[in-house]
Amino acid sequence: MEANISFRLNGEMVSISTDPLRRLLDVLREDLGCIGTKEGCSEGECGACSILLNGHMVTSCIIPVGAVDGQDVMTIEGVSKTEGGKIIVQAFADGGAVQCGFCIPGMVIAAYYLLSNNPNPTEEEIRLGISGNICRCTGYDLVVESIKLAAQRGGDVWKR
Amino acid sequence: MEEMKCYMPKTLKEALEIKSRVDVIPMAGGSDLMVSHKRTIGLTPVFEKPVMIIRNLPELKRIYLNEKGECCIGAGCTSSEIASNTLCPWHVRQAASRMGAIGLRNSATIAGNIANASPKGDTPGPLYLLDARVKLQSVNGVREVLVSDFIVKFRTIDLRADELITEIIVPYSEDDFDYIFWHKVGTRKANAISKITVSQAIRFEEDGKTVADYRVSATATGSKTNRSRDVERLLIGKEISSDVIEAVIAGFDQVISPRAMPEFRREATRRMIRRFLSQAALHPADKVIDTYDEYHVTGQPIPRG
Repeated sequence: MEANISFRLNGEMVSISTDPLRRLLDVLREDLGCIGTKEGCSEGECGACSILLNGHMVTSCIIPVGAVDGQDVMTIEGVSKTEGGKIIVQAFADGGAVQCGFCIPGMVIAAYYLLSNNPNPTEEEIRLGISGNICRCTGYDLVVESIKLAAQRGGDVWKR
Repeated sequence: MEEMKCYMPKTLKEALEIKSRVDVIPMAGGSDLMVSHKRTIGLTPVFEKPVMIIRNLPELKRIYLNEKGECCIGAGCTSSEIASNTLCPWHVRQAASRMGAIGLRNSATIAGNIANASPKGDTPGPLYLLDARVKLQSVNGVREVLVSDFIVKFRTIDLRADELITEIIVPYSEDDFDYIFWHKVGTRKANAISKITVSQAIRFEEDGKTVADYRVSATATGSKTNRSRDVERLLIGKEISSDVIEAVIAGFDQVISPRAMPEFRREATRRMIRRFLSQAALHPADKVIDTYDEYHVTGQPIPRG
């Protein structure tokens, strides 16, 4: 069964005809070219497929695409072009946060979601903020330090 | 014509109308259903029945106090929405705030957590404790059932084919008790599936000694969430003493039936009851009674070895 599904993707309206039970993750990667969104655990626990849905971080592997009809979706491709997203990406590079890189799009989304809601997080709050993002290189400390750096560098960007 | 296998209603009315004529699986957050029906990478999940997506129904998103002051939580409210809304009772907020990962809490709904009828579900513990009811709506009307009756047994709920869970109504809050307790034993601070969760609440008579109300519930300690009014009555009308604490502990130990690691779960449950009641007996004490471990006192992990 196919249905017409329209939603806002990174600021632009997209419209596709597809099975509404397909996972949003698969539609983003296969039909819409957003391959920054990764598949890790497929169970909503590892955070590699994190996106923003109506401004809230969600795991796109557990969301059928039919559920985003008429909604607003931001992937790493969109987030990394925002002012705050650019600051986080640069802070991750400067802070040495990236090892293999697979979890990083999800980590950037989590950092963006955290700083957008809490511009000056404590270390504990940063660790909670990325607690749903699993890194198998286990390089969490440098990610945490890089998010602190992004908070400092962003300043007023996060307060808007 | 191709058979419909997915419905996407825009309003509750439309959803109830579909439910009245088609046997569909309602799906809100998808955090249980999409995982239990997943196949391999890139393949679409396959369901045994048509699915009805109800994630965005506005009628299921409200949280408010009704005319009796009971907290009404829309079936489609997510764990994050519940955790951050102070109209929601404390025990329910605690459970919602420690469910799964952040991204999951932004999807997973309270009705899904109940309908999944897993003994490890996080919200049923507090909902049993506070005598919460589910509101079940169909085109033919509305009925309300206690959550503890609605969850019949493991993976089985008392839902008619034409009904949808539309609201959870919680008649008690922390204001109705002198002391409250909620503790989840998980393997990690985040992303953990509950090993055991114990919820408790107590209220004293005006003399400050006689127990007017005491409740205890535990999840992940049997095939469904456990609560026993008979055990609670061992304490009600009495003063807290070590004898009566041990009687409650022994009584509750008979109620629970953990399968995996039973002795660990039994001992942890005993200790949480003993901790709560012995602290409450100090009356006055801090309203929120927690387990005494260093992790909670300092926020730092307990040193090992």
